[in-house]
Amino acid sequence: MDNAQCALMKKICEMEFVAIELQLYLDTHPCDSDALNDYNCAVDVLRKYQLKYEDEFGSIMEIGHHGVNGKWDWVNSPWPWQM
Amino acid sequence: MWVYEKKMEHPIRVCRPDVGFAKLVITQYGGPDGELGASLRYLNQRYSMPTGVAKAA
Repeated sequence: MDNAQCALMKKICEMEFVAIELQLYLDTHPCDSDALNDYNCAVDVLRKYQLKYEDEFGSIMEIGHHGVNGKWDWVNSPWPWQM
Repeated sequence: MWVYEKKMEHPIRVCRPDVGFAKLVITQYGGPDGELGASLRYLNQRYSMPTGVAKAA
């Protein structure tokens, strides 16, 4: 994994962490519209990062974008412990 | 119901192999009194809770 790939994966992890925390908060505070806006923004940004990653470095989601380079890469893309 | 992602939720760094410790981790993870069994019990208890908030959290 090169630096650009590591940096983008780090951004994905950070944004996913934000989304998970807000999701847990919203489960018990469903009427907090500020938190809901923050959550939706976090999810939008996360999706953007995920798409960028999958386009440039191969698939990370089982149900996601595969084969952007014209071949099925799920089998050969690195496992979490190989990153 | 379950989606696999080829990524960690939190970064980890394994710096050296340690068979003894690996054995402990695997036992605690998947053994007879391990986290996997406990987590599935909690999950199913959760789905039988009476309110939506309790089911979700």
